[in-house]
Amino acid sequence: MNTIALVGNPNSGKTTLFNALTGSNQHVGNWPGVTVEKKEGKFKFNGNTYNVVDLPGTYSLGAFSEDEMVARDFILKGNPDVVINVVDATNIERNLYLTSQLLEMGVKVIVVLNMIDEAEAKNIQFGIKTLSKKLGVPVVTTAASKRKGIKELIEEIVRVIDGEMDLKPSISYGDKIDREIKTIKKLLSGKTLEYPPRWIAIKLIEGDQYVHDLVSENKALSSDSEFGDVLSAVKENIEDNELEIVNRRYEFVNDVTRVSVVRPEEAVKTVTDKVDKILIHKYFGLPIFILIMFVLFQLTFAVGEDLLGGLMAAAVDAVGHAIEVFLVNINSPAWIIAFVSEGIIGGIGAIIEFIPLIVVLYMLIGILEDSGYMARAAYIMDNIMRKLGLHGKTFISMIVGFGCNVPGVMATRTLESKKDRMIAILINPFMSCGAKLLIYLVFIAAFFPNGGGLILFLIYFIGILVALLVGKIFSRTLFKGETTDFIMELPPYRKPVLRNVLRNMWDNVSGFLKRAGTVIFAVVTVLWIMAVLPAGVEPYGAESILGRIGLFIAPIFKPAGFGTWQAAVGLFSGIAAKEAVVTTLGMVYAGVGEGTELISAIQGAFTPLTSVSFMVMTLLYTPCVATIATIKKETNSVKWAIFAMVYTFAIGWTMAVLVFQTGRLLGFS
Amino acid sequence: MLKELLVVIKESSYISKSNISKKLNISEELIEEGFEQLIRMGYIKEDVRGIKCDVGCSSCPYSKSCDKMPIKTIMITEKGERLLAK
Repeated sequence: MNTIALVGNPNSGKTTLFNALTGSNQHVGNWPGVTVEKKEGKFKFNGNTYNVVDLPGTYSLGAFSEDEMVARDFILKGNPDVVINVVDATNIERNLYLTSQLLEMGVKVIVVLNMIDEAEAKNIQFGIKTLSKKLGVPVVTTAASKRKGIKELIEEIVRVIDGEMDLKPSISYGDKIDREIKTIKKLLSGKTLEYPPRWIAIKLIEGDQYVHDLVSENKALSSDSEFGDVLSAVKENIEDNELEIVNRRYEFVNDVTRVSVVRPEEAVKTVTDKVDKILIHKYFGLPIFILIMFVLFQLTFAVGEDLLGGLMAAAVDAVGHAIEVFLVNINSPAWIIAFVSEGIIGGIGAIIEFIPLIVVLYMLIGILEDSGYMARAAYIMDNIMRKLGLHGKTFISMIVGFGCNVPGVMATRTLESKKDRMIAILINPFMSCGAKLLIYLVFIAAFFPNGGGLILFLIYFIGILVALLVGKIFSRTLFKGETTDFIMELPPYRKPVLRNVLRNMWDNVSGFLKRAGTVIFAVVTVLWIMAVLPAGVEPYGAESILGRIGLFIAPIFKPAGFGTWQAAVGLFSGIAAKEAVVTTLGMVYAGVGEGTELISAIQGAFTPLTSVSFMVMTLLYTPCVATIATIKKETNSVKWAIFAMVYTFAIGWTMAVLVFQTGRLLGFS
Repeated sequence: MLKELLVVIKESSYISKSNISKKLNISEELIEEGFEQLIRMGYIKEDVRGIKCDVGCSSCPYSKSCDKMPIKTIMITEKGERLLAK
């Protein structure tokens, strides 16, 4: 019975072809000694039975994985009568690297261009005769999933098994290596070996560790001094030889495909190059990036607030009212009603109201990411960062920090040098995370309902600016040294896929909701208890525990214009989690008025100027505990974690004071 | 091809595989494969996912959006620099 081996890259349709050849006549086992699955099947043709072995999918035939070892061992030691190399026709250039290695093995090979229907649909054209001539083996086309070309393949298999095939090497590795192959092959002849001598020679020169070990264990070879000398000489140049051999394989693939494959020029790539000439232009790139971000925030407000904002606020009010009525109707204790209506609904409800804005913002960011623009933005910023003596990858961690500073700090792990990493870690908290967004949204709703987009844009812009300036100062003072180089890949632009955009949005919004239901709920509960105790004091008043803490801290913030105890406890609780600034304000101002209580209370307690200084403070001051803990973990130092807490507070306070005092001098109130 | 590809990577301010394909007159698919081979052989390093969250991800509300890195970066390794210097 003749044996046929099927080999190919993963996803080349190899298993589909195996099924098409063998039908239900197959069984599954394991290769001896390894956990790799062995699939075998049979088919009959003209009264003869053929055994088909489906080898594991691999990209190459080195000794990097069990799959590769199983595949190459079976081809070289299992004596298949023919090896069917299944090639994904839509990705022929990449698949032919494996083919080039098969051709080195001196076995009978048939190349099957599978998925030919998909390739045709993509308008990829093949010169099959040229391809076959260049490869030196028969080439058959199939669409295994549609059972097309299977009969022709079987006929070719029979022809190859029964006939002779010229197995002379089709790849030259250059004069030097070709000579070395010949020498080693000659020295190996006559010795008892598991593999063909020429293949062993190539692998020795290429530096295949498995084959080197095999040779050193062979007594006849280890006692051959001439062979030992040649091998030592080869070992000295292994790095260069490996590169040369791999290079020659690719050149072979390039020579073959250049004359036998025609691909249509993709319009999108031509467009990408043209668009990039403008979007990453030396001078226009940055203003365009700033403009795009400005439009993004404008759109966020136009859609999220003007169109959808009122709906969510009304829903929160309605649900809150219904729950309160329900609790009253079932005669719940007064403290439960107070906790739910003022603590939970006043606190968490205050952040839920802003979900539409968050949904819209993350959808728009998702569109930028999915279209490929984000990589351009990082590239533009990379150039600026380098001029400031900062590492370009810092901006990537900053982009991540816009979502949450915890992964933002973790993203600095990609920075190689300690200097670059420390700077990137310490400036990440200035990136305005999703939780801080809520604070701005509340204050914008109170004082700048018509200029939300602009304010938000400026806030984010200040965050980036401060991060860059502080980073530059750090690189000149605290952390000196070399920065490592890197290159960014700019993928082709593509039309954003709705599903990706929605998933990106949902990942962020669900995280936000999950926090509201866990961390924020816990913080609200603790704060509520602190706001109503000790017993007998006016709840949410200055005499409560929370009020007393606030009164103690408040004087620090007088120069910044918001020296009230409520603002102080808001900032204090914000260190637990940034959303807690809003929930605390929502709770301590609950009962002040009806309807949109928080907004009207804030309008009474702040002015437009102090609201701006408060937003700047929240943007820059001490990060939340989760971020501090991450900084401690990533720097492996309590000292740096404390430094991060203190210096960000100092910068936040200074900037807030600067905004307030300058604003006052300029006549703003 | 691999050394030429490495030289182009070194000289570029950013990587656009379609541009490299035109420059080297090699199909983009093969350029893509060349990148992977350079990575496999240790001449370049690629950062696709920079964040490896190994701390309590299951309890982190942002775990889903955490390991996304929209930007791919390439670095030439010491081995790569050695080859370029030859």
